Amino acid sequence: MKISFKWLKRYLDLPLTPDELAAKLTMAGLEVEAVERSGSVPEGVVTAKILSREKHANSDHLSVCKVDKGDEVLQIVCGAPNCDAGNVVPLATIGTVFPDGDGTFTIKKGKLRGVESFGMMCSARELGLGNDHDGLMILPPETKLGIPMNDLLDPDVVYDCSVTPNRPDWLSHFGVARDLAALLDSEIRENPLALPEAMDNVPEDPALVSVEAPDLCPLYAARVVQGIRVGESPDWMKQALLSAGIRPISNLVDITNYVMMETGVPLHAFDIRNLKGGKIVVRRARPGESIVALDGKKYDLTQDNLCICDEEKPVAIAGVMGGEYSGIQNDTETVVLESAFFDPDSIRLTSRKLGLATDASYRYERGVDREAVLAAGRRALSLILELAGGNYTVRCVAEAPKPEPRKITADFNRIRALLGMDVDDARIVRILGKLGFRKETAENVFTVPSWRIYDAMGEADLAEEVARIYGLDKLPDVHIRAMTADYGLDAFKVLEGLRADLTKCGLDEIVCGSLIDEKSATADGIFEPGDLLRLNNPISLELAIPRPSLLPGMLATVKRNAARRCCDLAFFELGHVFCANPAKFPEERDELVIAMTGRRHPERFSAESREVLDFYDLKGVLETLMDLRRVKSFSFESAEDPRFVKGVCAVLKIAGRQAGVFGKFVPALTRGFKLQTPVFGAVIQLENLLSAPERSILYQPVSQFPVTARDVAFLAPRDLENKAVLDFIRNAHVPNLESVELFDVFEDESLGAGKKSMAYSLVFRAADRTLTDEEVNQAHERLRGKLEKGLGVELR
Amino acid sequence: MLLEELLQNLNGIRTDALAALQSAKTDAEIEDVKNRTLGRSGAVTALREVMAKIPPESKREAGMAFNETKNAIQNALNEARERNASATEAAEAIDVTLPGRRPAAGRLHPLTKTIQECCAIFRRMGFVAVTGPELEDVWHNFDALNAPLNHPSRDPQDTFYMPDGRLLRTQTSAVQIRTMTGMKPPVRIISPGRCYRRDTPDATHGVHFHQIEGLYVDTSVSLADLKSTLMTFAGEYFGREVAVRMRPSFFPFTEPSVECDFSCVMCGGKGCGVCKNSGWLEIAGAGMVNPKVLENVGYDPREVCGFAFGFGLERLAMLKHRIGDLRLFSDNDIRFLHQF
Repeated sequence: MKISFKWLKRYLDLPLTPDELAAKLTMAGLEVEAVERSGSVPEGVVTAKILSREKHANSDHLSVCKVDKGDEVLQIVCGAPNCDAGNVVPLATIGTVFPDGDGTFTIKKGKLRGVESFGMMCSARELGLGNDHDGLMILPPETKLGIPMNDLLDPDVVYDCSVTPNRPDWLSHFGVARDLAALLDSEIRENPLALPEAMDNVPEDPALVSVEAPDLCPLYAARVVQGIRVGESPDWMKQALLSAGIRPISNLVDITNYVMMETGVPLHAFDIRNLKGGKIVVRRARPGESIVALDGKKYDLTQDNLCICDEEKPVAIAGVMGGEYSGIQNDTETVVLESAFFDPDSIRLTSRKLGLATDASYRYERGVDREAVLAAGRRALSLILELAGGNYTVRCVAEAPKPEPRKITADFNRIRALLGMDVDDARIVRILGKLGFRKETAENVFTVPSWRIYDAMGEADLAEEVARIYGLDKLPDVHIRAMTADYGLDAFKVLEGLRADLTKCGLDEIVCGSLIDEKSATADGIFEPGDLLRLNNPISLELAIPRPSLLPGMLATVKRNAARRCCDLAFFELGHVFCANPAKFPEERDELVIAMTGRRHPERFSAESREVLDFYDLKGVLETLMDLRRVKSFSFESAEDPRFVKGVCAVLKIAGRQAGVFGKFVPALTRGFKLQTPVFGAVIQLENLLSAPERSILYQPVSQFPVTARDVAFLAPRDLENKAVLDFIRNAHVPNLESVELFDVFEDESLGAGKKSMAYSLVFRAADRTLTDEEVNQAHERLRGKLEKGLGVELR
Repeated sequence: MLLEELLQNLNGIRTDALAALQSAKTDAEIEDVKNRTLGRSGAVTALREVMAKIPPESKREAGMAFNETKNAIQNALNEARERNASATEAAEAIDVTLPGRRPAAGRLHPLTKTIQECCAIFRRMGFVAVTGPELEDVWHNFDALNAPLNHPSRDPQDTFYMPDGRLLRTQTSAVQIRTMTGMKPPVRIISPGRCYRRDTPDATHGVHFHQIEGLYVDTSVSLADLKSTLMTFAGEYFGREVAVRMRPSFFPFTEPSVECDFSCVMCGGKGCGVCKNSGWLEIAGAGMVNPKVLENVGYDPREVCGFAFGFGLERLAMLKHRIGDLRLFSDNDIRFLHQF
């Protein structure tokens, strides 16, 4: 919405600079997004007369002039062809600041080819007053010298305002002025909606208008003016319309637009010749009807669309746009002026369905002041009679019963408490009164003005008005009251802890988008197309599926980084994923995905720098994670999964329940990755991880006695798992065996096919005494025997 | 005779030992000399037996010579050891500018960092961070929040819908509705999380974004409390004095509604490119919870009231770290991630 400073000044005194007013409006809730100045020049440009002109000694095109700026004669070097003695011109004196692109440029005392110059004489274009750049702007010879150029001009400032949807009354200059009167605590000088009703004293012709859909059009007024002359509008009106961003067309059309911009009530003028039967019917469109609107396009109408029709056909889409053939022509003599109130929802629907939004529909759908409709018509009527002549002959007003005005009871103490502001009763009443909320009785009951019924529903709305006008800048600083919070509710804290643990494991967090395409969503062999949720209105097929897993985003991230030659990666992501198949997963859940590839220690040197991450690095991360999270019981088992290479894949079980699966990604998932190293990854169901029983921390006494160490090494079948050996040893209940650790495993041709060598170190210790060699040897020997028999291994 | 022999022996041992120590290059050579001379079965030690046989009149002379020899060898030994130690040290010298072996340490995504920083600040003010589903129903996302039926945000043009009419939440206020529905006031919560809007992705828009919304409902909560809360937040988050300005605005969820501006964190309010020379940055939408919303969750608006606010986390992170393009957050380039 464009609001002109000059236009506003018609309705009230504005003892503010345009910048001050912009700040005032913004702070009152009408945000000024941009300020455009027209017809003004920078401060410091004054009128001056060229007294003499001489050729510059060192230049073909420059002249050296003596210029009189009233109180002083200055030497100015000038390149314009018309800097002749006797011309009165605009002169930018030293210190004048011109806008220059995004910055500014300042006129300084300078030397041009060795000759001093004390300012700059300007062309119209240099001053932003037109396009003429052929020479200096020449002012009338009788112009007083040394006066600011702005005094000769009639500058305006136009505010580009963003109007919140609750304030349709701000969609007009008078509406803004009315609010300003409250804000500045001043009076409206001229009210365009207060013309005497007496001027409307013409015969009523009920046959002129018939409203067949009073639910959608509770008020319709038609006024007929005969003998008008269509022509150009006067300059003041053209300028006003231009400042509001509207192109002037002809006096009749301009008047309707002007009054809309002035009062917020859209108006329409028909040429009576184009109304078949000379009458207006307001009705819903009939099936099959269509209209060619003023924009030249044909619109097919339905029953939802309210239309202004003549006897036969629609001549306008009510509240949206007139028909191409029904409007004002150059030879129009008799005009029917429409001012009406239409149902906001109906107009919104029509505008949306037809894809046609206009200044009129914008106002109607947000809510026009019904009480202003007749008055705005009168305002237009008076302008027509003044600017286009003619006789007002007949009218017809069709109106459904009016709703009762809304009344709001206010508790001033509660308003003060809600705002935390100390505004006294009298001030509250005064502020509300200025805004049109009338208090008629001793009780604090306020009648909502007709232009605020779309917004003001209850006490809180009155509180807002008080705060707005009293000034939010007067809110006091208060201490924040302490309150004990129930951090048991704090679900986010748990996730923060998990994220911290993951970073301790050396993983970097990534955050990917939630919407992906179907192909990536089903690439992992886990999700079928039927398992996917789908958006009804995706923006594109690439962003159509709420991700069923974080894996596609993770793999894409690895691929993208690798393509940029960042190949040493260890990532995790934690986020929501979605599934439409309850047999597989809940609809929405949290997932954790990890991926690792590249070198183990990219920042190190020599041999270490060449070590490449393998399965056990990933497994180690999971083990550390389990440890950091104090997961009470977890285990790893080899597994098969379509996402991972067979034999290099395992599941993580927590308390016997599968919590995740990990391994080396199958080539199909990493095809095309610019990587020399394999990619390992894990997919973990967060629910199972977070609900894991926690190991409590209970101090175990530390033994003061020395340890005795023994090794055991054997040849085992290749497929004997470490876990099987450890489980076997644990179940052997070896006395005083404190710990068992694998310290070597290798395969070698010399060992024979299908064999591997495994070596474990055993640590023996008792809590209460030093063990004798004999005891330990005995236990050790017994274990060796059991291993040989029980696992079928060859002791070495 | 015996004395002479002893003195000669001592002399010979001393000469040999000193020569050997002179040329000794390694610890082993030095220790070898020590073992051969002063050691338990060394030559000097062995001469103790001879000493016993020396006649009493020569004992003094013999003793002195014996001690002299022992001391001379000991001194030479010490010298040799010292000499060798400094030589070994020189050989041990390393290039201390080679890179250290860093323990692996991962980093949080800048958005997560921002969320966590915000949560930490609000937690200190007594707020609890709650979460909720991203797939929401119309009631929690719009109806309960008093969004009018014709509100543009409900339009399929702006919001992602599922075939069954549910939607991807457009703000995290939905979580506030869920929380209020489940508990009695006082409620002091923040809801950080991901939201969705049907925008075509570019430098400042994405189909998803993150926000934090705050809510405080109690028997007496005021607009002034809201301002102070946000001022405290602003100062702590940006680590400097930040002025907070409130302007009237409109949101269906709140009444009165305000737009909260922070004084520009780049220029301190003097005006710069980031604040478009206004000195202010639009940060949060806020206000006093609309009585209808309180009614919708079963609270009595005559008994309780509250404030609510919400702001975008990407914008906050972008301001703090001077990030110019929103897409960097979901690009996850490791060179970007490692800067935080």
